[in-house]
Amino acid sequence: MKKSHRDDYAALGGILLLALGLILLKTETMSEGVLRALPYICMGLGCGIFGQGMGNIIGARALKNDPDRVKQIEIEQQDERNVTIANRAKAKAFDMMIFVFGALLVTFALMNVDLVVILLLAFTYLFIVFYSVYFRGKYEKEM
Amino acid sequence: MITYGKHAFHGEGRTTKNYLAEIRKQRGIRQETLAAALEVSRQTIGSLENGRYNPSILLAFKIARYLQLNIEDIFIYEEEKTDEEESS
Repeated sequence: MKKSHRDDYAALGGILLLALGLILLKTETMSEGVLRALPYICMGLGCGIFGQGMGNIIGARALKNDPDRVKQIEIEQQDERNVTIANRAKAKAFDMMIFVFGALLVTFALMNVDLVVILLLAFTYLFIVFYSVYFRGKYEKEM
Repeated sequence: MITYGKHAFHGEGRTTKNYLAEIRKQRGIRQETLAAALEVSRQTIGSLENGRYNPSILLAFKIARYLQLNIEDIFIYEEEKTDEEESS
């Protein structure tokens, strides 16, 4: 699928999802339990997808007749200093997240929060840690 | 083992000195022109010249090739001084 078409479909899909959300909200066909939130989820996702799609379409149109600007944007995105800065910032945030997430987990445990919630958080925490270990191993082999 | 302590990133902490600004000015090349030729941002050239950023070996080669010099003619490598050497 071409990128331009993908954005068209995204914008269209977003509108459809938004319309579906509005229809569900008006008709109130699903007013039982968790499904009550469905219209709002549809509207939220629809707005987000439509916004993303339209943003990309407008951005592509604006840059269509300006190849120099497109080249400059590409250079900025691939610039090794910019990439290093972004990676360093992400690594710092990851280090911080490990501690903050751990502290939150302990706090929840001390607050006697439902065991399901604590286990979900603990598995998520471990998943992220193992994901990091996996990539460390992968890069050890590659580099 | 995962370490969540201080990371030593590429180019972090210690930067090399270089003659990039001098050579560029000598030849009358603008930062923008050099940046465009090397396909990096102008800020990268500025940071390199100020010694705030160490280039990757690929970028160092590109700079050297563009200026038709050796890497050692542009970038200076200095051995890290030990505490004993610094105190004497």
